Amino acid sequence: MAADSRPIKQKTFTNILDQYPAEKRYILAMMQDVQGEYKYLPREGMQMIAAYVDVPLSRVYSMATFYKAFSLVPKGRINFKVCDGTACHIKGSNIIIDQVYQYLGIRPGETTPDGEFSLETVNCLGACALAPAVVANEKVHPKVTSSGIIDIIKSYGGQINATSN
Amino acid sequence: MKIRIDQQEIDVNPGETILEAARQNGINIPTLCYHEAFGGQGMCRMCMVEVKTAHSTNLVASCTYPINEVIEVHTSTPVIEKARRTIIALLYRTAPQSEFMKKLYQEYKCVENQLEINENERCILCRLCVRACEEIGSSAISAILRGTEKRISTPFDEASTVCIGCAACANICPTGAIELSQTPAGRTIWNRTFAVVTCQRCGQAFATREQLDYIAQHTGIKGSESKLCDDCRKKNLAAQIEQYAQ
Amino acid sequence: MQPAINDDKRMILVCCGTGCLANGSMEVYRALQEQLATTEVQVETYTKSTGCNGWCEKGPLVKIMPDDITYCRVTAKDIPEIAAKTLQNGELINRLLYRDPKTKQRVKSHHEIDFYKKQHKVALRNIGEIDPASIEDYIQRDGYKALGKVLEMTPLQVIDEIIKSGLRGRGGGGFPTGQKWKACAAVDASTRYIICNGDEGDPGAFMDRSIMEGDPHTVIEGMIICAHAIGASSGFIYVRDEYSLAVKNLGIAINDARTRGYLGPQILGSQLSFDIEIVRGGGAFVCGEETALMASIEGNVGEPRDKYIYPTEKGLWGQPTIINNVETWANVPVIMNGGAPAFAAIGTEGSKGTKVFSLVGKVINTGLVEVPMGTTLREIIYGIGGGIPGGRKFKAVQTGGPSGGCIPADMLDLQVDFDNLTKAGSMMGSGGLIVMDEHTCMVEIARYYVNFLAGESCGKCAPCREGLKAMLEILTGICKGEGSEADLDFLREIGETMQIASLCALGKTAPNPVLSTLNYFRDEYLSHINEHHCPAGVCRDLTRFYIDVEPCTGCGLCAKNCPMDAISGDRKEPHVIDQDKCIQCGECRNQCKFDAVKAR
Repeated sequence: MAADSRPIKQKTFTNILDQYPAEKRYILAMMQDVQGEYKYLPREGMQMIAAYVDVPLSRVYSMATFYKAFSLVPKGRINFKVCDGTACHIKGSNIIIDQVYQYLGIRPGETTPDGEFSLETVNCLGACALAPAVVANEKVHPKVTSSGIIDIIKSYGGQINATSN
Repeated sequence: MKIRIDQQEIDVNPGETILEAARQNGINIPTLCYHEAFGGQGMCRMCMVEVKTAHSTNLVASCTYPINEVIEVHTSTPVIEKARRTIIALLYRTAPQSEFMKKLYQEYKCVENQLEINENERCILCRLCVRACEEIGSSAISAILRGTEKRISTPFDEASTVCIGCAACANICPTGAIELSQTPAGRTIWNRTFAVVTCQRCGQAFATREQLDYIAQHTGIKGSESKLCDDCRKKNLAAQIEQYAQ
Repeated sequence: MQPAINDDKRMILVCCGTGCLANGSMEVYRALQEQLATTEVQVETYTKSTGCNGWCEKGPLVKIMPDDITYCRVTAKDIPEIAAKTLQNGELINRLLYRDPKTKQRVKSHHEIDFYKKQHKVALRNIGEIDPASIEDYIQRDGYKALGKVLEMTPLQVIDEIIKSGLRGRGGGGFPTGQKWKACAAVDASTRYIICNGDEGDPGAFMDRSIMEGDPHTVIEGMIICAHAIGASSGFIYVRDEYSLAVKNLGIAINDARTRGYLGPQILGSQLSFDIEIVRGGGAFVCGEETALMASIEGNVGEPRDKYIYPTEKGLWGQPTIINNVETWANVPVIMNGGAPAFAAIGTEGSKGTKVFSLVGKVINTGLVEVPMGTTLREIIYGIGGGIPGGRKFKAVQTGGPSGGCIPADMLDLQVDFDNLTKAGSMMGSGGLIVMDEHTCMVEIARYYVNFLAGESCGKCAPCREGLKAMLEILTGICKGEGSEADLDFLREIGETMQIASLCALGKTAPNPVLSTLNYFRDEYLSHINEHHCPAGVCRDLTRFYIDVEPCTGCGLCAKNCPMDAISGDRKEPHVIDQDKCIQCGECRNQCKFDAVKAR
């Protein structure tokens, strides 16, 4: 499990939901707040929201899988966001994504089995002048090269054992 | 209000959609995602037609376009036919197991292509099942994910706790994409097996326990009445009326 | 308490836009505050963090006013020197000044630099000049003056002024803003809504983010003016949740505006009551489409609907709704302040005013630029952007984001406005300008956009969903050398069907990158198909890198940067690439200063 994963507590959900009227239009905001708390959207959170707003769970699930902001699985201790906006793409972000797979064995949306690292791609960080950009948790790494990403992984304690193709 | 569809002059009520107006007058416009019970969804885009207003000519989805002015409609032009053919070709490769799609693919004389086919799939994402589940069932299924990943499922792809096994989804599906197996032992749908209730009169399995409970809860129809299948209930009713008459 | 921007006081403005923050501007800002707290300077000096100055390439930027000094790439370590020399003695630190690559001269003020000199700032007028968290700063620069003026006018007069200005929506479609307002005001209804579309999703465009972060009050003021014009009492700003700084600054601005009586009941003592709520988007490009955005605000999956009835008639919760994008709102106070004729004097016949572009990709000065409509692509890319780095050849520029098109080199003199871009097979979109050079593969870029859209399409209508899936498969095949010429016809057929049959603008424009590259760069497609060759050296299955012994000086830079240790050679001797180890990442070619790494 990820190091920062927290126990699921009904109280936490109640505190979040209490800030909103029980109306459909606040479902998105509630889900964002729950995800803000846990760094992912636990199933219990979706169930609580559905019950609170009185909509079918299928509708909440439909939204949770539609909007990209939500992750239904816990993220790693270090979450790499590789920007794959156009500026980053033409400066080689796909190579960085491949390199992460090569060295950590994870593709976008995945977490390493030990819960240490996860990878996602983001559309545009608006930091196009720093392309290609990689964000590790909150830290922005500008102008990352195919060899630079290896150093970044190492700097967060990643073991570099290139897996064979 | 009078409009013209394919040279035919027809009377319409303002606000009515082109598709409704056409169908009422026996003019056929092809659709995949339309059902009278739910109205237009605008998803399959097979019902695109050409609309001429006083100012412009546009291609519109006839199932959602409300008639609010005098217009002239053409339901088939070379451009429209080509678009329909492409849509069928693409949907067929996504749901090649469906006999229905296969028939359409041949009917539209689609040109062969090299696209990979989605071997065991029958679903074309018309979402009639979702609408049926919302209206008749218990909103157990929905369209999940987005873009090219979009599909129909229960939450977490697991047996739904709220599904009542009514099979409204499977019954409305035009392509036979929803797996439904029914044996005397039970009805299996969306990864869940339901106990079936047999008709007290004819012995046919006709509903699931959950379905009857759901109906009882929402309509107040009592248990004893709901233990008969549709046919037998009608016969029962007829017999009662006869009794009264005598 | 800090004073508002003021010519009498010495101010140090530290750019804290996203680009500069990533380059460490917050450390610079803190170091500066500490320095000023501990050292005595002769002139009383205040520090402010500002929004994005647009010149992200040279960040972190520090401006000293009223001396008008701009320092580039400042680090925290430079602060003691700045304090000792510049602040104490008015001495310039040459090293931190921008060096003009043409004249080789150091330049003191950013006003003297081509990048800024050739711009015309309207929507971005305050950004970088004010502290976005300070309503006083905004007011100091004519903020809320337009609102005061508007409240003295009748709603019809306001709408008329906007119509006369010729303002067209900056979000993509370019629909005349005034006409939209007029249509909405004409509908008989008791409730009307106003929405600011801040769901900027184009990968490679960040002007809306910059405005929301750097000058949130201008958006709010624009919305209040519209509220008076159409008679709305509530508004929503829909912002991408990833834009945390924008959400924060908008929140502060809304609160301050309420405190000052610009928002809330009876604004400035008038009959107008209006308030604004922030809605955080869930991360869906399609929500930039207005009907999808409204579905999202209502608490649904963000899927669009057919727009045979416009939102101005039936929008949010079925009520008449005005939805405009961030940049459009930012122009409204300027029009009302300076009058429609002044605004209409800028730009072209059909497109008035300025447009903000985010100039990114293979260009020297990446950043945000605002120019009058009708400025040529050449002026933007070469005049302001400084051209292509490494002396490489310009190949194309992508405008309009993922659903826009690629415009080739022979159209560099195209005057950019709504109509010209559409004629060229592209579109304005939100104003992304992504510059591509000879090392950009046009087939791969089409594949990239289609891949992006395949993930971002809502998946509701069949032509868009299935069309993108099919296009992606075909383009991926071509990039691997597995395509055929028949594929190109099929791509066109699918694209044309998507254009006419898709439900919303996303689907209708999604094939643009494919169709425009097919039009202008068919040769590149054919190279991939017939010769299994990627002329740009990008498609990895079709590319082998090698080192040309002639130009190679044996500097070893390529070997040092190779992630696979695939390059070897003695110092000052030509190097070689071990093809068995090479993964075709192209880093050696990016690094080489002598153009010795070639692709075949």
